[in-house]
Amino acid sequence: MNAQAPAPVPADLAVAPALPDVLKPRKPLTGFTGFLRKNPSIAIGGALLGVMFFIAVFAPLLWTVDPTSISPARRTRVPSELYWFGTDMLGRDIYSRVIYGARVSLLVGFSVAILASIAGLTIGLFSGFVRVADGIIMRVIDGMMSIPPILLAIALMALTRGSVQNVIIAITIAEIPRVARLVRGVVLSLREQPYVDAAVAAGTRTPMIIFRHILPNTMAPMSVQATYICASAMIVEAILSFIGAGIPPATPSWGNIMAEGRALWQVRPHIILFPAIFLSLTVLAVNLLGDGLRDALDPRMAKNL
Amino acid sequence: MFAFIVRRIITTIPVMGFVALFVFSLLYIAPGDPAAVIAGDQASPADVEKIRLSLGLDRPYLVRFGEWFFRVLQGDLGTSIFTSLPVTQLIAQRIEPTVSLMLLTLILAVSIAVPLGVLAAWKAGTWIDRVVVAFAVFGFSVPVFVVGYLLAYTFALQLDWVPVQGYTPLSQGVWPWFKNLILPAITLGFVYIALIARITRASMLDVLQQDYIRTARSKGVAQNSILFVHALKNAAVPIITIIGIGVALLIGGAVVTESVFAIPGLGRLTLDAILRRDYPVIQGVVLIFSFVYVLVNLIIDLIYTLVDPRIRY
Repeated sequence: MNAQAPAPVPADLAVAPALPDVLKPRKPLTGFTGFLRKNPSIAIGGALLGVMFFIAVFAPLLWTVDPTSISPARRTRVPSELYWFGTDMLGRDIYSRVIYGARVSLLVGFSVAILASIAGLTIGLFSGFVRVADGIIMRVIDGMMSIPPILLAIALMALTRGSVQNVIIAITIAEIPRVARLVRGVVLSLREQPYVDAAVAAGTRTPMIIFRHILPNTMAPMSVQATYICASAMIVEAILSFIGAGIPPATPSWGNIMAEGRALWQVRPHIILFPAIFLSLTVLAVNLLGDGLRDALDPRMAKNL
Repeated sequence: MFAFIVRRIITTIPVMGFVALFVFSLLYIAPGDPAAVIAGDQASPADVEKIRLSLGLDRPYLVRFGEWFFRVLQGDLGTSIFTSLPVTQLIAQRIEPTVSLMLLTLILAVSIAVPLGVLAAWKAGTWIDRVVVAFAVFGFSVPVFVVGYLLAYTFALQLDWVPVQGYTPLSQGVWPWFKNLILPAITLGFVYIALIARITRASMLDVLQQDYIRTARSKGVAQNSILFVHALKNAAVPIITIIGIGVALLIGGAVVTESVFAIPGLGRLTLDAILRRDYPVIQGVVLIFSFVYVLVNLIIDLIYTLVDPRIRY
């Protein structure tokens, strides 16, 4: 190697053209867009859910009419330019009912996810830390988990008046055991971690250990579980309303719109079809979000499931 | 082995006790006044009081639970408010269609889902795999009655291949029974198939990466034999677990499926009971279904030991 300047290229010598970049160097996926590209199911689920939220919030502005206004003269119309999704047995505009129905579904799904998470987290932390109570609490949880959640919600709804609030309470009670179980399992395994031992040895108080060292680590599995609970709560709400044990027809919900289409499904299937499409898309969105979160937060699980 | 089975059976007794306690406690957990709700809006205060007495809500909780539980142990689930018939009799009349539906669904779902999951794991990364995975996500997102109406509309109304609704008892021949039940079974099995296929795929992917599979390949074992004998047997424990857990989905879904296809089973009984606010019937059905669920999972636990001799509790 010498520091000599390169010899000038003789004019009659052909120079090979630069090779094309067959493999362009890939820019690492960073930032928000990178995150979305790495996790397409979060992107798709999030976007779809965003649309549903938009619909729910701006329902009055989306060319809807009063979803409860009854008009016997225009009963059971098929979809047309005037009634986009047709009308039901009482002449109510199904398009308006479906758009307003987004509110109930999202409200129930998210309320149940949040309430069940808080209650389950409390029970799970308590059970994981107070050994004396653990045995009893876990037996009760086992008992609760042996009752199929939909039946549990049906039984509770049979004992109370149909309202959005009671539906939320009933589904929450049915979902709590799953969260409590999960949190307890995480707590028990975290308790054995060396860093918790270190904290104990350093004289950290128990509440501090719980809130500083244990609680943050339960958040990842819990948020994944919460999305699945949200999805399942939406389906259970629809089922409860569909069989007449849920939200009364005065408040339009996708479940009770379908309940009203039940008697007519052979001749007017669209009454069931439209709310069904909206419900399925929303639940799909939440499920995709949950799958994406699981893959992003727990790459070991992501490989196979 | 025998000692293990006995021990396992004994451990389900407290679980069943807690199930009973919890089902009983629903009367107290439910928001609002259950007696007023059951009596209905037109009831006079005297009627409400009568219902309150018949539910025993005036007496102490534990005393009431003791009495109720003792009667349940004797096989007495109470009396229907609406029909005044014993709940056990009502359940006995309606149990055949539900059991038929659930058994057919179970057989159908397992025989579709397991091969589907195995296929997806074998062809991992290909379009076949993607279709199965997409189906699994999709299957979780479509409510059971939507599947029911779609199938009924297409195959019963439009194509006229099978009856739209109803039920034919098995005693009137296997073919009519099957023809009536096939759509409800596919409907009910939809989520269940998605669930089992998903777990089968995950479990098989895990096993197919192991050394002994490579060994089997290198010594020239046939592909089918590797998949279904060597791999599936070792992947079986999570699959069997999810088959057991998924029975809860079947039980919940049966109520809805029976209402879509007008099958006179336990689901229909529950539905009528909800509309009539006939709580003792609902309580009885919930209790029976929960016991069935506990029993199914007990059986599943016992099957583990047959599939995987390493498992000993």
